[in-house]
Amino acid sequence: MSRVTFQSLILTLQRFWADRGCMIETPLDLEVGAGTMHPATFLRVLGPEPWSVAYVQPSRRPADGRYGNNPFRLGKHYQFQVVLKPSPLDVQDLYLDSLRAIGLDLTKHDIRFEEDNWEAPTLGAWGVGWQILLDGMEITQFTYFQQAGGIDLAPMSAEITYGLERLTMFLSRQSSVYDIEWGAGFNYGGVRSQDEYESSKYAFEIADIDLYWKLFDSYEHEAKHCLDEKLVLPAYEFTLKCSNAFNVLDARGAISVTERVAVMKRVRDLAIECARQFLAAREALGFPLLRASNG
Amino acid sequence: MAEYFFELLTEEIPAWMHDAAQNTLREKLSPISDTVTITTTPRRIIFFLPQLADKEPDREQEVKGPPKKAAYDASGNPTQALSGFLKKNNATIDDVIDAGDYVMIRRKVAGRAIGDILQERVPDIVGSLRWPKMMRWGTGEHSYIRPIHSIVSVLDGAHLPITILGVASGMTTVGHRTLAPHSIKVTSYNDYVHALEEARVIVDITRRRHVMAERARVLANQVGGTPAMDASIWVQWQYLTEYPGLVRAEFRRDYLALPEEVLVTVMRVHQKQLPIRNADNSLTNYFLAVLDNDGDPEGNAAYGNSFVTNARFADAQFFFETDRKKKLEERLPQLEHLQFQEKLGNYREKTDRIVAIAQAILNVAPPPPAARTAEGGGATVTAAQLCKTDLVTEMVKEFTDLQGKIGGIYARAERYPDEVWQAIYDHYLPQNADDPLPRTQSGAVVSLADKIDNVAGFFKIGLKPTGSKDPFALRRAAQGIVQILLNRDKRQVPIAVSDLIDIALKTHAAPASAGESIREFFAERVQTILETSAYGFAYDEIQAAMAAGWQGLLPDLVDRITALKAVRNESNFLSLLDSAKRIENITEGHDSTTIDASKLENETEKRLNELAGVVASQVDELIAGRHYRDALQSFAALAPELETFFRDVMVMVDDEAVRKNRMSLLRKIGSAAGKIADVTKIVVARADYKKP
Repeated sequence: MSRVTFQSLILTLQRFWADRGCMIETPLDLEVGAGTMHPATFLRVLGPEPWSVAYVQPSRRPADGRYGNNPFRLGKHYQFQVVLKPSPLDVQDLYLDSLRAIGLDLTKHDIRFEEDNWEAPTLGAWGVGWQILLDGMEITQFTYFQQAGGIDLAPMSAEITYGLERLTMFLSRQSSVYDIEWGAGFNYGGVRSQDEYESSKYAFEIADIDLYWKLFDSYEHEAKHCLDEKLVLPAYEFTLKCSNAFNVLDARGAISVTERVAVMKRVRDLAIECARQFLAAREALGFPLLRASNG
Repeated sequence: MAEYFFELLTEEIPAWMHDAAQNTLREKLSPISDTVTITTTPRRIIFFLPQLADKEPDREQEVKGPPKKAAYDASGNPTQALSGFLKKNNATIDDVIDAGDYVMIRRKVAGRAIGDILQERVPDIVGSLRWPKMMRWGTGEHSYIRPIHSIVSVLDGAHLPITILGVASGMTTVGHRTLAPHSIKVTSYNDYVHALEEARVIVDITRRRHVMAERARVLANQVGGTPAMDASIWVQWQYLTEYPGLVRAEFRRDYLALPEEVLVTVMRVHQKQLPIRNADNSLTNYFLAVLDNDGDPEGNAAYGNSFVTNARFADAQFFFETDRKKKLEERLPQLEHLQFQEKLGNYREKTDRIVAIAQAILNVAPPPPAARTAEGGGATVTAAQLCKTDLVTEMVKEFTDLQGKIGGIYARAERYPDEVWQAIYDHYLPQNADDPLPRTQSGAVVSLADKIDNVAGFFKIGLKPTGSKDPFALRRAAQGIVQILLNRDKRQVPIAVSDLIDIALKTHAAPASAGESIREFFAERVQTILETSAYGFAYDEIQAAMAAGWQGLLPDLVDRITALKAVRNESNFLSLLDSAKRIENITEGHDSTTIDASKLENETEKRLNELAGVVASQVDELIAGRHYRDALQSFAALAPELETFFRDVMVMVDDEAVRKNRMSLLRKIGSAAGKIADVTKIVVARADYKKP
């Protein structure tokens, strides 16, 4: 196996999925907790229009931050996200081919698909699928979306989410994420450890709780404002900002168990309305991607 | 004879669903075939019916038609209604038989060929299997456990076409997903099993398990250990691989300093790995992991499993070190921020209630010396105070199934006496019928206090279990309480059920109405547990003894049922039962047992009164000494005298004073036995009793 770096993995996966008919999107330019929240996944899985996309998404989970001290846990990590709609019957084989493409001889490794269902209560979304274990280590989350924004889906989307740091660590036999090579001679620690330290300190100790509550309220207000004007994508962006404010407050320990459910519901209500309006808007446009794919 | 063979190829089906699916399939296939071989792999459902009759037997069929009145006209000729009925059933007037007021036809129906039956039944049986969590895929048209890829359907070497959820069958399958992913043509079950084995799929579950068991023994042996016995892991492993193998991996030796419970939970629950133990049962730093390949030629799986397990342990070690910086006692204020239930307050408040209940229990059931001598108001109270503090540790936040245990481990590390840390460690026990009880009496008391607090609290706010819904596991809590109260070894807590309930109600300031429903709830639990327990008590024995009181000490209830169980099979039980029934009938509504000796008129009743006095005090003495069986026998010995009494003496006389006096006499006799059981609730088959 040739030397694997963080960027070689990204480049290989992009090439691989582009060759199989995926459009390569760019990361969403907002703070999100997962690639699923990118409109290219959450909104595009709705409705009848076909969709194939792949992209890297920096994913922020403030509560997982460890000040750059833990070799495995990060407050921000990078996901490689693939969405195929409708899910092709050979999607698992396509996935295995992607592992071959990054240099794995699958006859010499153990690959298993173990049940792991996914649910995102703040998005009113859930799916069924597996965690994919490579030699006992989870490297990918594989989900058949069943519902998004509280809406039953059809056709169904398959979502493949690679954990890029994990995979690079494992393939390059590094025992700390900070020791993997990013590319061009830079290592991950050199690029990211200051960020991890400062972001952890910020989320756990410094973030202004009152400000974040105000931000949450304002973002929610503006999301509703946009929804009233039938501007679904801006509304969705404010919903994501709410979600991130929630995550920061949560990491800061500012949300009690009692409040938690209620605050999550406020985000979910927005997400559900966004999904509903997005679907209506696409329908009003006559589901243009459906025509494109037929013609 | 014919043979049929079926394979459904899907994507990986969750390991825990296989056994139930096999059982359902077996049940549904049994009407078609007496011999059914069913097996599954992670992505295959396979069955083989080796001895099928070629066709169903021919049979006679009867079909009911219109009423005779409507079937024939006045002159006895068939009406429109009858000929319509015959036409619809493809029958003639000759098929009509006599069947009372209605017309009926009987005719021979040829049995269908087995192929027809299979084509009709198999798609239905397989397609309608109800899985615990279904999904849709592709266009979203169909719903199943996982997407269906292909179907093999072969009857006697030939394709028997069927379609399940839009997928048409054929005679080809594929080999192992990564080791032999080519297609394979199959014509018989035997060929299939062999061809798949060559394509790295072992079809038979038992064989997969044997391969792994043997490998486990060898791999553990090589490092001088034995694989931990853990049936739950094997059950999962056998459904996680098509071509089973195991690999031995290791973790850093210094992690052995972490609590064993944490190491084992990480390996078993989170990683589905099997620890390897030394001869003295201590953990080694080796473990076994399953892999879907018979070997690990480049050591990749060993590396990967070590990597991920070390990562988990690194996290655990971080949590452990962080947690140890703060004593359990110092965590009490944090419990204020952890909600127990909206209307029942936070865990600090729950802790206060547990302490109060535990103390009240100890007032009623004084503790053995071990618990008294510990510092700070007794080991039990200390354990009660600390029992929930581990809920705010990092370790329990990460490994929630270790709650209680982690608190116990930390308390041990803080050098609390055994009685204290073990009580914390054990206080969730017992959770299931076959769980052990807490090791110490303090543990039993804290467990009782925690559980009765749950029951009383949720009943008070109206959240009691209904039907199959028991979201707060109150049945389980009550069952645990009953298990502890039934115990009679050195850990026993001699408290009456009613006292325990009253203590909890008082602590919750709950209304009497809550008490009533709690008592009802517990009566059901006691009845259920005694019925299903190893005692082997029958329903009516339990009912009879409980009718004489069940809210006292439960071991006493058990003794009374045991006595009843013993005497019900004795020859004079019928006379005991009859006496009790007659007394009950005749004295209904009469409670007094006070007898005015001056109003006793005839010799028979005078004699019975004397005997009653003797027997009553004898019975009371025996009951006091818990010799329930002898007490019941003493009562039974009165039967002949009672018979004479009933024959010679009229109870229902007009003179009220005399009548009441006689009823009191009977009541006095009856009440003696009634303290043990209401024997009238025992159901007997009289023929079973030989005359004495």
